[in-house]
Amino acid sequence: MTALLDVESLSKHYPVHQRRLFRARIRSEIRAVHNVSFRIEEGQTLSLVGESGCGKTTTARAILNLVEPTDGIVRFMGEDVVPIFREGDRARVLGIRRSLQYVFQDPWLSLNPRWTIGETLKEPLRVHRPDEPARWNARVEELLEMVGLEPHHAWRYPHEFSGGQRQRVGIARALAVEPKLLILDEPVSSLDVSVRAQILNLLAEIQDRLGVAYLYISHDLSSVRFISSHVAVMYLGKLVEIGAVDEVFTNPRHHYTRALLSAIPVPEPGAAQTRIVLQGEVPSAMRRPTGCPFHPRCAAALPVCAEIEPMLEPPSGGHGIACHNPA
Amino acid sequence: MPSTLVCASDAPAMNTADPLLEVRDLKVHFFTRDGVVRAVDGVDYSVNRAETLGIVGESGSGKTVSSLAMLRLVPPPARTMGGQVLFEGEDLLAHTPKQMAALRGRRIAMIFQNPATSLNPIYSVGAQLSEILMWHEKASRRQAEERVVELLGLVGISDPGARLRQFPHELSGGMKQRVGIARALMCNPSLVLADEPTTALDVTIQAQILELLADLQARFRMSMVLVTHDMGVVARMATRITVMYAGRVCETADAGTIFSAPQHPYTRALLDSMPRIDQSYSGSARKTLPTIAGRPPNLLNPPPGCRFHDRCPEAMPECRKMMPVETTIAPGHSVSCLRRGSTGVAA
Amino acid sequence: MAIETATLNAVQRAPGVWRQSWYRFRRNRAGMLGLGLVTLVVVVALIAPFVAPFEPTDQSAMLRGAARRPPDAIHWLGTDRNGYDVFSRLLYGARTALLVGLGAMTIASLIGVIIGGIAGYAGGMTDELLMRFAEFFMVIPVFIVILAVVRLFGIVVVGTWMEDIPNLNLLTIIVLLGCFEWPPIARMARAEFLRLRNAEFVEAAVCIGTPRRDILVRHILPNALPSLIVLVALGIGGAILAETMVSFLGFGDPKAVSWGQSLYFNYEALKVAPWAVLAPGGALFCTVLGFNLLADGLTDAFNPRLRQ
Repeated sequence: MTALLDVESLSKHYPVHQRRLFRARIRSEIRAVHNVSFRIEEGQTLSLVGESGCGKTTTARAILNLVEPTDGIVRFMGEDVVPIFREGDRARVLGIRRSLQYVFQDPWLSLNPRWTIGETLKEPLRVHRPDEPARWNARVEELLEMVGLEPHHAWRYPHEFSGGQRQRVGIARALAVEPKLLILDEPVSSLDVSVRAQILNLLAEIQDRLGVAYLYISHDLSSVRFISSHVAVMYLGKLVEIGAVDEVFTNPRHHYTRALLSAIPVPEPGAAQTRIVLQGEVPSAMRRPTGCPFHPRCAAALPVCAEIEPMLEPPSGGHGIACHNPA
Repeated sequence: MPSTLVCASDAPAMNTADPLLEVRDLKVHFFTRDGVVRAVDGVDYSVNRAETLGIVGESGSGKTVSSLAMLRLVPPPARTMGGQVLFEGEDLLAHTPKQMAALRGRRIAMIFQNPATSLNPIYSVGAQLSEILMWHEKASRRQAEERVVELLGLVGISDPGARLRQFPHELSGGMKQRVGIARALMCNPSLVLADEPTTALDVTIQAQILELLADLQARFRMSMVLVTHDMGVVARMATRITVMYAGRVCETADAGTIFSAPQHPYTRALLDSMPRIDQSYSGSARKTLPTIAGRPPNLLNPPPGCRFHDRCPEAMPECRKMMPVETTIAPGHSVSCLRRGSTGVAA
Repeated sequence: MAIETATLNAVQRAPGVWRQSWYRFRRNRAGMLGLGLVTLVVVVALIAPFVAPFEPTDQSAMLRGAARRPPDAIHWLGTDRNGYDVFSRLLYGARTALLVGLGAMTIASLIGVIIGGIAGYAGGMTDELLMRFAEFFMVIPVFIVILAVVRLFGIVVVGTWMEDIPNLNLLTIIVLLGCFEWPPIARMARAEFLRLRNAEFVEAAVCIGTPRRDILVRHILPNALPSLIVLVALGIGGAILAETMVSFLGFGDPKAVSWGQSLYFNYEALKVAPWAVLAPGGALFCTVLGFNLLADGLTDAFNPRLRQ
């Protein structure tokens, strides 16, 4: 069985320019995403977790071609989409766009403030179903109902809605043309705790009903635990651990994953939690350490870690780690 | 080197009533074009010496506004409409602006949410920290700088002497927040007010900062008010917890009780609605988190009676009519809910 | 029942962004004063031919020896040294002023939005080149160019078909003003397009597969309009003022009835017949003030957070 999404050695490097008056001189490059590989099967949820600047959002944006990947293959439904986007054949691009949708982090920014909700929801229909305008209104109503809003909300403007409701609209827009894969970029991190649970439930329910796969990007590990079937941990542009969610959460083997999990304060005072407090901070991507990028902060670092970068074996359903000295 | 320690927030609740700060019936209203928003509507809480009070609530619950009102820092169009803020026996709401200015930063200090914007970008770290001491304690520049170096070392900044001449933009987010903490401690305040001190930080940095705050608090036996939306953070830090909803206090108890035996339906629902990292959700038993129906009320026109009644699973007809009064149901545990034996006043 | 719900929803339908801006604008006194002044000028310009007691070219008072007469029952604002009725020329002057202001700013907005929009959306080298081009226009002293071109043109066209175009001089001034007033608009358009190009709702549209033309016209432009409208309103006042200055220096269109021209004709007689100067001066003042206040009010209405 071919995976729905198969990302192979995806990289996005940004050249760092030093501006001179008339010429730009390339000095170095930032490896925002480096050699990232993972797959998502139909109806599954893979979570991409990590701290800010680890490259999780860039990975998503590269898959969607919002930034052009420097290198690598993004195979979606069996086709490599990178050259399709590059050539820009509109019919083929639309074919991909329709099955691959994005839900944005900030529901305050992701809706056009001058459009009513109805107009916003009709946009994907206008693009992908131009020949049946008569059915648009019915579909908008259906979508609103699906995400727990009411039909008359179609006449309202985004500023009349709360954050949670706007995020529902964002989800409805992404679902409008029945995608196979939704990329969810921190969809609940700007929402209040009680609203967060509602949106997470909604996402789970939609997945059960429509069988859509999710690529869920988040730094909030508790929501990751809830929503996903698989999880991939990123550090400084690189995947360090990948596996089934329960496996990774109960038996983390990369030292970074362990520290990350233990850093989450558990809502239970006095919980006998072994707390690993990492020293130091994430180095800037411009000054990426040699060898394993995590070795300067790692308690179990060996001399080899500073020299040779550990590789993540292509995960074939199992539990993969990129570490010379796993826990 | 990572250090491994076991949780430290097991300090026993200070039952001996020795309140350093007492907020009584505080009211803050926003006067907007559309009407009066009762952002804080009769809030009581107290902070004892050497304890950390966690104030938790969702956005719009009034947690931040009430803490700003304590320092008389609410911005227009908001106005403090009544109540008392007793700090070491003095009513801060009766102070003159000059008295308040002398008190802020010296006896009550603040740690802000966003370290990037709470430091002035055009002054060096040394300059803006020593200024506080020169202003409040009339210290000389030399004395002030010595103290700054001492404090920077204390908050875990390496090579503090050199950092003195650095500017905020040269520091990382975590470092900036450490500087922010050092700034709060400059004058040995008896109370530190921390408003979402780690929300803008990454989890591993958050863990470092929380550890630092817990350590400093224990060392100097200072009192702290920690305002946050993150239940995990209060669980880690707070001795006692006050839960706010829609401008009112739902429940106050020591941290253990809030998590193990919450009484107010809102506290219960809030705790239940959070997914947990130590629980598996996969498999057949998947996937509905308990939620709170509806959404927080519009405070322009709050519901009559208990603010939570229209979302409350246990609401009864009286909840519409009567406003519950915070009532002590066990030593150190007070709840405002008619179902839990609170008395009510007609709305 | 169904109908009831429908009407209820129609009633509940909340104001859109434009209407909200209007609610805010309405509460701004200075802005409303500006709107009032501008409306007055527009109305005057529209009804001038119907209410003006004299033709603007009527110099009959001169023949009657009634030039430089102070205001009376026949000549409500008096007559000037050429025997024109000051009131009538004041009314007709509003037409010229608006024509200049609107004409120049229409040209400027078209050029500005296209150049700025392309620069902002395309970015990179295109952006660099277009913005250097705009800066080039900003450093040219507009005024001197206008004076030179108007004078040159006046000589060149003699004997050609272009001589027959009515108000050729005025048209030249309008076009020149338009061609030199666009850089600020282009800069603003660029900034807005740049900001909106990376706005999340635009990226959302890209993900949906919305064609680029739709993204530009339906997403970005409407959101960029408010700031551009403010600039255009300011620019109209500026253009009117510029035309007045050109006319005042005697380079205006002799066939057009403009306030600047009236000032030019009469400033030497300021002591003898002050009404002939004060009237067009006052009208000019009110018009420019009106547009500036309007622009100010619009800024506040569109960006409520700028001012508390």
